[in-house]
Amino acid sequence: MEIFTEHVNGIMIHKITIGHIHESGCTGCLAALMDNYQGIFTILDKYADLVYGLTLVDVRKIPKMDVALIEGSVCIQDKLATDEVREVRDKSSVVIAIGGCACSGNITRFDRGGQQNQPQHESFVPVSDLIDVDIFVPACAPTPEALRNVCVMTYLLLRGNDEQKALAGMYLKPLMDLARSPYGSKASFNTLMQEVINLGLCMGCGSCAAACPVRAITMEYGKPQGLRDLCVNCGACFSQCPRSFFDHELMEHHEQIMGMLKAVMQ
Amino acid sequence: MAAPLGQYKMVLFARTTDKEILRGAQNGGIVTALLSYALDTGIIDGAVVAAPSRSKPWRGKFDPWRSEPIVAMTRDQLLSARKTGYNISPNVMMIKEATRSYGLDRVGIVGVPCQIQGVRKAQLYPIGMRGVPDKIALVIGIYCMEVFPYQSIVQIVEDHGGVKMESVEKIEIGKGNFTVVTERGRTIQIPLNETRDLEQPGCHVCLDYAATLADISTGSAGSPAGWSTVFIRTKIGDEVWKRAMQAGLFETKPIGQVEPGLGAVEKLAVEKITRNKKTLEDRDFIGTKGLRNPYITT
Amino acid sequence: MGKVVEISPTTRHEGRSKLVLQVDDEGIITVGNWISVTPVRGLEKAVLGKPMEQVPKLLSRVCGICPVAHALAAVEAIETSIGVEIPADAHTLRVILHCANRLNNHALSNIFTLPDLYIPGTDRKINLFSPEEPMRSIARRIQRIREIAQGITEIAGGEAIHPTNTRIGGMYYNITSRAKQKLTDLAKEAVDIVKTQMDFMIAVLRNFQRRDWTEIGGRQIPIPRNLGYHSEGYLATDSLYGTSSRTSVQSWDPDHLREIRPWNFYMGEVTIDLEDSTYPIGGTTAAGTVVHPKREATNAIPLYNGRPVEVGPRARMALYQGFNEKGTIGQQVARQMEYMTDVHEILNRLDTLNTSGKVLTDPIPPGDGKTLAWATTEPARGTNVHFVRVREGKVADYSMIVPTTWNFPVCSKALSGAPWQLAEVIIRGYDPCVSCATHMIVLDPDKNVVAQNLIR
Repeated sequence: MEIFTEHVNGIMIHKITIGHIHESGCTGCLAALMDNYQGIFTILDKYADLVYGLTLVDVRKIPKMDVALIEGSVCIQDKLATDEVREVRDKSSVVIAIGGCACSGNITRFDRGGQQNQPQHESFVPVSDLIDVDIFVPACAPTPEALRNVCVMTYLLLRGNDEQKALAGMYLKPLMDLARSPYGSKASFNTLMQEVINLGLCMGCGSCAAACPVRAITMEYGKPQGLRDLCVNCGACFSQCPRSFFDHELMEHHEQIMGMLKAVMQ
Repeated sequence: MAAPLGQYKMVLFARTTDKEILRGAQNGGIVTALLSYALDTGIIDGAVVAAPSRSKPWRGKFDPWRSEPIVAMTRDQLLSARKTGYNISPNVMMIKEATRSYGLDRVGIVGVPCQIQGVRKAQLYPIGMRGVPDKIALVIGIYCMEVFPYQSIVQIVEDHGGVKMESVEKIEIGKGNFTVVTERGRTIQIPLNETRDLEQPGCHVCLDYAATLADISTGSAGSPAGWSTVFIRTKIGDEVWKRAMQAGLFETKPIGQVEPGLGAVEKLAVEKITRNKKTLEDRDFIGTKGLRNPYITT
Repeated sequence: MGKVVEISPTTRHEGRSKLVLQVDDEGIITVGNWISVTPVRGLEKAVLGKPMEQVPKLLSRVCGICPVAHALAAVEAIETSIGVEIPADAHTLRVILHCANRLNNHALSNIFTLPDLYIPGTDRKINLFSPEEPMRSIARRIQRIREIAQGITEIAGGEAIHPTNTRIGGMYYNITSRAKQKLTDLAKEAVDIVKTQMDFMIAVLRNFQRRDWTEIGGRQIPIPRNLGYHSEGYLATDSLYGTSSRTSVQSWDPDHLREIRPWNFYMGEVTIDLEDSTYPIGGTTAAGTVVHPKREATNAIPLYNGRPVEVGPRARMALYQGFNEKGTIGQQVARQMEYMTDVHEILNRLDTLNTSGKVLTDPIPPGDGKTLAWATTEPARGTNVHFVRVREGKVADYSMIVPTTWNFPVCSKALSGAPWQLAEVIIRGYDPCVSCATHMIVLDPDKNVVAQNLIR
């Protein structure tokens, strides 16, 4: 496929600008991004300039940027936080919610305040409850590979030629749809139950059990059983399920896409 | 939707030259021979396969009609996992653990088409699959029309077939029948249209028969008895197959020479896909709202 | 009369915090307030009433860069409360995890602090994202150390970020002999790399110590000899791993722990009247802004024997190995020295691991609710204490004091005497993890136990 070779030959030269915004998360998502190890340098050398991210760079005010990666849910009793997400939306072309907290609340769904020194901090909502979010990368923690893939595809979407844009658009579409779906920001094992098992779509492959980051899912007579008292609402099981979304046309090119991702990270 | 048989570089009939494997094989012993070879030569350092359930002993052995995934790291473990059970074994469940406490760097996996879809999705969208995408070294697919939940198999064998589960020696699905062979040699055939309702519902929305996303996919359809039809699909599949052929692991026949051949595989694939597309369409008209289609996101 | 300057937000550490500094006419800090402004997720309250099995999984998520510290302290505290001993091989796996996570965190800390430091013999600061040499080689080496550390955590712990293998009563799985071999190879590879990194870091730190000035915002700021000195004490509960309330000889005494509210420690309302737009990048807070540190703070102020204490690598080395160098540089040097301890300990423990040993205790009692237990771990940033009471399988009380909580007040004191432009250099010496630090316990001064009624 043309798409793949052209990119590898280094046709693309304009980097995008990217920022990391930390709301009520644990920095595990940023750590996951950094866990691309040497790949981080490839991304920063070739594709993206890191223009904001308090954990890594000294910039203290949010600049305009192409892509904002938001980690963490938002405490609605903290004006600093609610103002900040609005500012991020205003200043970014693409907003990507990374990780369970930003996408679906994750453990912060269990918060109910009452703790000093700010006992009124009791309500935490996923970012997409407050602003339009373009892309979801769920799970706790999201994986270095998923973050890498989404960064590369977003780069192609913004800077690629028509074919590359088409490929990136296809790849990102389900993650964009998830950001707007009625269940994306409400995800938990329940979503897998309601949107897959209850709809007669589960075929017992076990993807959900492998994806679960808290070992809440076992397979009983070939079907997922979720211990809901262990579930942290990260949404990994549902998004990993081949029956949550699956684009046959894209997946047919799995070999080329994997090859392309490998090549661009060289 | 692409071609029913998917993309492939080569298709042929084959059976293994490894007598030990062939003796216990369902067909040509392709899967076990390939994995065993890949294990020996370091192409993989372990494989996720479906094995008879260890959780409930049955007739003094492990229960062959209830399978569960294991991470096989030796040839013996592979041999213990032969024959397909036609019931659900959640193989994808183990692909991450294989890279964790098992310490594997190159994982092989066998699965039916939906499981291969799970594996490929884990590679392209590794939402909860850290460290997995690059460690998948060999993916072998098995053709599949549908599978049965364990309890459905019990009902088919004991009610429709009138045989105790404990007496079953072999189960085969093909040529329109669910065939049970008892340990005393009796053969009972139940037409598949009679067992349709007992199939796993999730199979009825599956649009892949020939494991089109695998590196190599195989099954009995189209091949003469004792042989398997084999599709070599990807670069990895091609390399592994070539090395295995050089090592003399398989004897092959070109697919053109022998009936029923590729046409038979295609017929089954088209039949499955057509029927299941219809199911997906019908689902739109359940109630007044219809049911969610996993292949169309909005 | 001095002035007040605010640096907000502070950068190159985990979480969100700020500095409100009273300075004299020379710009030297007279009163330093370092406060967390990370929203309080209230996890100690959120876990009340939850099944004990879930709680370590939730508390791991207090922090994504030191998740192992919280997952382990939580399981150890709960196990102490319900009275179970875990199998030896489960403990071995936990110590391996603990050391691997420390390794990762010390490497991360290098990423955060190196941009403050200079390549010896030059006036060039170290920008790790620059493709130029020697920066790129240093950055690659640090990432390789992290890759090894995270790789070990992933195999022994199930996941590198938020381990899945730990559970009440031990571990879900032992590892195979193949996995053990792989871990050994990784740790052996790390020996030389971390030695090189340690030597490099210490050279860079000593170089900084010898410098008269450092450049900040285009100006040469004098570096005081006593940068980051404080006269408070140290606390460490173990030289390596941690301890718990079931241990008969205790290395610390929780009865000596007091906690006061930020209200009694930080400044009240002040108006910013010193503004510096050249402070990198984006300048300090605008003059005229009114701030209220004691009200805004989301961290707690724990005191030990009535005073703030420093926790972390230097505290461990001071109390267990007689290390006596003070200040920010001494603290950083101590951190680098732990690199070797961690790698060698991983190798030692792997040596003793029996891969066919049992890793889960059976049965696991539900807890009688009578014992308020505690357990500590000694992760990268210092003493991490979790207190818990378990009744009928559910968590009845929970509280924790995490490393950076201890360090907030002591570091605030250590700011005094430094030029305000160096305040962030001092806080980075503590390798702060601020999201962790928004946790609070309150003690009853009349009782010799942590007061039950006040925990709620």
